[in-house]
Amino acid sequence: MYGWAGQRLRVDLTTGKITKEPLSYEYRRKWMGGRGFNSDIIYNEVPPHLDPYDPRARVCFGMGPVSGTAAPSTGRVTVSCKSPLTGGFGDSNMGGHWGAEVKYAGYDQIVVQGRAKHPVYIWIDDDKVEIRDARHVWGKFPREADQMIKEELGDEDIHMMMIGPAGENMVRFACTFNDVWRAAGRTGTGGVIGSKNLKAIATRGSGTVKIAEPKKMMDICNRLRQAFKTDPMGQGLYAIGSLALINVANRDGWLPWKNMQGGATPLANNISGEVHSQTVLKHREGCYACPICCGRFTQIKDGKYAGEEFGGPEYEHAVPTGPRLGIIEDANDVWHNARLTNDYGMDGIETGGVISTAMEWYQRGFITTKETGGLELEWGDAETVSRLIPMIARREGFGAILAEGGERAADKLGLPDEARYYTLTTRGMTLPGDDPRGLGFGYGLSFSVGTRGGCDHLRSLCCLELSGALYPGLNTKILGDERGNKPITTANKPYMVFYEENQKGTTDSLQVCCFTTHWSYAVLTPDQVEYLNAVTGLDFTEEEFQEIGERIVNLERAYWNRIMSGAREDTVPERFTTEPMPQGVEYQTNVGVVFPLNDMLKQYYKYRDWDPKTGFPTERKLKQLGLEYVAKDLAPLRTKYLSEAEKKKKKYHY
Amino acid sequence: MSNCKVLMYNHEKCSGCRSCVVGCSLYHDGECGKVVSRIAVVRNERFGESFPVGCDACTDAPCVAVCPTGACAMDCGAGIAKIDTEKCIGCKECAMACPFGAINMHYKTGKAFKCDLCEGREEGPVCADWCPGGAITYETPDVSFKLKRREKLTERLKAAKVGEEG
Repeated sequence: MYGWAGQRLRVDLTTGKITKEPLSYEYRRKWMGGRGFNSDIIYNEVPPHLDPYDPRARVCFGMGPVSGTAAPSTGRVTVSCKSPLTGGFGDSNMGGHWGAEVKYAGYDQIVVQGRAKHPVYIWIDDDKVEIRDARHVWGKFPREADQMIKEELGDEDIHMMMIGPAGENMVRFACTFNDVWRAAGRTGTGGVIGSKNLKAIATRGSGTVKIAEPKKMMDICNRLRQAFKTDPMGQGLYAIGSLALINVANRDGWLPWKNMQGGATPLANNISGEVHSQTVLKHREGCYACPICCGRFTQIKDGKYAGEEFGGPEYEHAVPTGPRLGIIEDANDVWHNARLTNDYGMDGIETGGVISTAMEWYQRGFITTKETGGLELEWGDAETVSRLIPMIARREGFGAILAEGGERAADKLGLPDEARYYTLTTRGMTLPGDDPRGLGFGYGLSFSVGTRGGCDHLRSLCCLELSGALYPGLNTKILGDERGNKPITTANKPYMVFYEENQKGTTDSLQVCCFTTHWSYAVLTPDQVEYLNAVTGLDFTEEEFQEIGERIVNLERAYWNRIMSGAREDTVPERFTTEPMPQGVEYQTNVGVVFPLNDMLKQYYKYRDWDPKTGFPTERKLKQLGLEYVAKDLAPLRTKYLSEAEKKKKKYHY
Repeated sequence: MSNCKVLMYNHEKCSGCRSCVVGCSLYHDGECGKVVSRIAVVRNERFGESFPVGCDACTDAPCVAVCPTGACAMDCGAGIAKIDTEKCIGCKECAMACPFGAINMHYKTGKAFKCDLCEGREEGPVCADWCPGGAITYETPDVSFKLKRREKLTERLKAAKVGEEG
């Protein structure tokens, strides 16, 4: 078999049973790989109302047909589960080298279910799979456990998936690590892994991925890798990492400032990629087979945190526990907090999100030191934040409340409905560091409909709306319309989001990095189809590529529909649609902008062929995508969703 | 021979991405994997360190010296030892003798294999061609060291300037 390894590894930690299931040609053609395989398992095997921490729940790790090949950046892994943060569909995508290693060991996907009696880790040595005691590494930071497990197995060159202490403690936004530092951050996958008493999956793969047409593949890869040498965004990401966005975000007013009360701050340059690379960058890091290498390794050189080092940060990792909390004066505070969320194993975005929410509650008097256990949650107080992060991970004091995520924290604190205005979530998940009043109307639309909740810059990653400056003409080439090439316009955005969500659905299933296809644009859909066919020897077309993505998006959407989440929940936090963007810096380009979501949704539904009343995919669409069983599942729920009883329910999480 | 181009590996610039590995294995074997690559990257994940390890094109190559059949022989035109698979008996002596670990045994043939500078590839060795960070270069030693000299000097001058200002 070319491309795919052709089998799924299933490990039941309750019974210790290990099975290998073949993946048929039809199945692979229908779901492609990683994200597609995972979403299929979650939809079919994790009932919509099951507690995400129930042993019967699944957590899936998906690789794709081109994982481990020479195509640009083939090390990604999608981790999927029913999200403990939102209660809905959840997945997250991580870089590193583990995905390729699993592929070389001979698996396209790993599904873990059940719960071990005590902490364990899984050791995959090609065909040999065993469950081993992990009691001695439980509680350790990933960088410590990584060393211990490698020494124990006698091989430093193996690769590993792992969780940190927050995952063990089932913090609802704990993340999953790949090779110590590369995180699948969002939706709380780490907590689900922790709930199964699973610390890590160590892997050694000594096989290869077979290529159907090697010569052709070589030609394609030569061409694409040359393209990265001149791609402007690719070069920028290599030079200064995704922190390259800091100064751009500040100029265009989408840098989160104090829980997104603002979008720019005069001191933003303190944590810019330009400054980072001149001050604390120890090393550049590349995920498997990556032509960009945007990864950073940071070493703090001076001040009270001198000597601390860690992998990262990325833009989305540095911002939430930095400017989102009003911390910007001393960059070392920002790096230190990023180090903390890494070591403890929590999603930086959600950690910063929940703390910034709490800070705004404190600012507005919804909570006081009485609720916080004496912590004075003042904006910019880095000291308090650095104390609070470990408290969340350990579920101590006020940290135990925040460990539940913003919406559940509001429940636990018994806050009035007005306090929900400051949680900045959609479907229970905090929006990332891209204020839709600045970046941009496409991003904002994507947040409202994203199939893993309010992320979701990574569902459509419609950077096409930023591409006017660096890639003029690209919108026309891809979408046939240039009007959407700037963030502050609704023109063509519904189609852009529709198109890019589908595109991204398949890109995530190939398990290649979207920085090769969406931030930088050296690889476009026709190139992906070309290398996919060279690897697999099959005859995929661009249309089929897009259709597979569309199928995945609709299946994930249906998961939400089954728990009564549809059109009414396709929103963004009111702050973005009602508060005009204030002025943070003189040169800011988006002062006064509000985000006009409702101008775009109707059109988006039309492209999607979703029923405008319910927001459910129509029966016609589902059947067209080969999802008859989903249509059957949704049939009785359509009228239920429109019932008065349902309309009255307030759903902050599921 | 001393003016032949050689591969130079600079771990300070290596991001550990293994683009070299996938390129090498695809070019030589038509499949992708670390086990069939002629170049390896040793990574220390915890510290963010990566080290490319490939053939250093020794002039007095230990792999050639220990080969009992003459399979591993110096190609004076290319300036690197190459292994004739037909003559190789798979004894692993060369792999053991290599001071860097740049020789491996092929999982299909059981014969030794090593870097051949991508013989016949117009653009030169794929590892250097695909390296995103310039950690692997393909130049004559003279040019390589000239570049290194200038780079190191620039770094030192810059550090001195920062020191003065600081």
